[in-house]
Amino acid sequence: MSEPFLQVNAVTKTFGGLHAVFQVSFQMNAGEIIGLIGPNGAGKTTLFNVISGFYAPNSGKILFKNLDISGKPPYKLARLGIGRTFQVVKPFAGLTVLENVVIASFVKYPQRRKAEKHAWQILEMTGLVDRANVQASSLTLAGRKRLEVSKALALEPTLLLLDEVVAGLNPTEADRTIELILSLRSQGITILIVEHIMRVIMNISDRVVVLNFGQKIAEGSPRDVAKNPEVIQAYLGEAPQ
Amino acid sequence: MSRKYLLLILFCGILLAVPSIVRDTFYLRIVTEAFMWIGLAISWDVLAGYTGYLNFGHGIFFGVGAYTTSILMNLCGWSFFMTLPVSALVAAVVAVIAGIPTLRLKGAYFAIATWALARAIQQMVLVASFTGGPDGMRLPPFLHPGFFYYTMLIVVGGVFALNWFLLEKAPFGLKVKAIREDDQSAMSLGLNPTKIKLQAFLLSAVPAGILGAIYAYWITYIDPASVLGDMVTDQAVVMAVFGGLGTLIGPAIGAVIIFLFKTYFWAYLSDYQVLYLIILGGVIAASVVFLPNGLWGTITSYRQSDKALKHEPVSSRSDDKGDPHV
Repeated sequence: MSEPFLQVNAVTKTFGGLHAVFQVSFQMNAGEIIGLIGPNGAGKTTLFNVISGFYAPNSGKILFKNLDISGKPPYKLARLGIGRTFQVVKPFAGLTVLENVVIASFVKYPQRRKAEKHAWQILEMTGLVDRANVQASSLTLAGRKRLEVSKALALEPTLLLLDEVVAGLNPTEADRTIELILSLRSQGITILIVEHIMRVIMNISDRVVVLNFGQKIAEGSPRDVAKNPEVIQAYLGEAPQ
Repeated sequence: MSRKYLLLILFCGILLAVPSIVRDTFYLRIVTEAFMWIGLAISWDVLAGYTGYLNFGHGIFFGVGAYTTSILMNLCGWSFFMTLPVSALVAAVVAVIAGIPTLRLKGAYFAIATWALARAIQQMVLVASFTGGPDGMRLPPFLHPGFFYYTMLIVVGGVFALNWFLLEKAPFGLKVKAIREDDQSAMSLGLNPTKIKLQAFLLSAVPAGILGAIYAYWITYIDPASVLGDMVTDQAVVMAVFGGLGTLIGPAIGAVIIFLFKTYFWAYLSDYQVLYLIILGGVIAASVVFLPNGLWGTITSYRQSDKALKHEPVSSRSDDKGDPHV
């Protein structure tokens, strides 16, 4: 149990000459919620894409339960139990909400009937049951974000990567999503969350990792990180002399 | 439910009885060829409508199947039924070889690549000697309209049933639709797009190969233009688009309507043949503008809008599809 659940070791991802993510390392223990924050363009989404297999890192390693997963394709990682959402939501627009989730359920339940039953359970949990038979394209933004989470959850992941699932929601919707995330943690799912809304990050994260220009500039409890001068500088710029 | 099955059984019974009712071989031929076009249109739609890949080289498989059967019967003296599995296999091999590089492309690029491949294969057959080159090949005639009617009926019926099961009932259908809607999201949900696209390509290509084989034996003469030319693909495309992509019944209806129109035109209005392609082009342009979801898609969306107040406007769907995230 002393083994870290997810280890990100000196991961670098370069586009052309630009280091989108440079030598970033951190660890996650099972059952933790870690917030990943940083100003726009800090490399949060790139790091997500590297962890979830959409990009292979130029150097560095990612160990998931001690298994080297760097550079493995996303569909293999999904089968290993890594679920992710996309910042720009990607519903299967022409299919119904239920069908969207059924597709994700096939990983664990290859038979259609069982997958469907599982999908209903997921929708129950995420509060989309009454929208199950509408087309995904007719959902509101809040609904689409919920659908993103539902699809990732249907994989029965042990590690969940959430990319800005709260941003853009109104306060009531945001609270419901936060409740959902906390209930997932209580089910033992380890969560890495990217979010711009500090209220969310500060309230739910056990630890926070801060990126700026692709590099990790701070890591620690939400309270400590919020006081860190380097973090304040990254967000607000240098104080006038 | 049971009424549905009764209707289905009745329908099958009528189809089986056609050769004993229709004594005129002219009409029997028309029905037989209509089946063939249904098969080509629905098999093209597996890739176009369900998976989202517009294959403008579908005729490759038809032609390859036709040539395989002709070569085996002519040069090796095989019997027709022995050549069928080989034709299916050759179509499958060509699909894998063609699919691995081309299925990485998207949208118009895939359409262009498959079209170019079709032209390349047509040229190769034209210059090769064992294919008879531009002279084509003659097959031992077997003049038995009923035989071809039943062969076509069984193959097309089988393909229809197989597609219905795989695409509408089994998980495979949802998986290919997931790839069509968003392959990135599909990938993050454990689906291997390359594998699924290749499977869909095979499901599309193999029936076309078998139909080509039957066609060759039936018509007893093939040449590069008749089985490998643009017309085979283009007509299947037009039929499927007119009928409605992404459904099983739509392309079948489109195939029957367009094929009957064509036959009527060529049989009774042959003096005006020049007009055929003009009218066909006009009909296609009009159906793309006024019925973007095809005949069947329009009918079903009318029915749905009766049920629910809110239904997705057809135009927003086509906007989504036009989004060039290639």
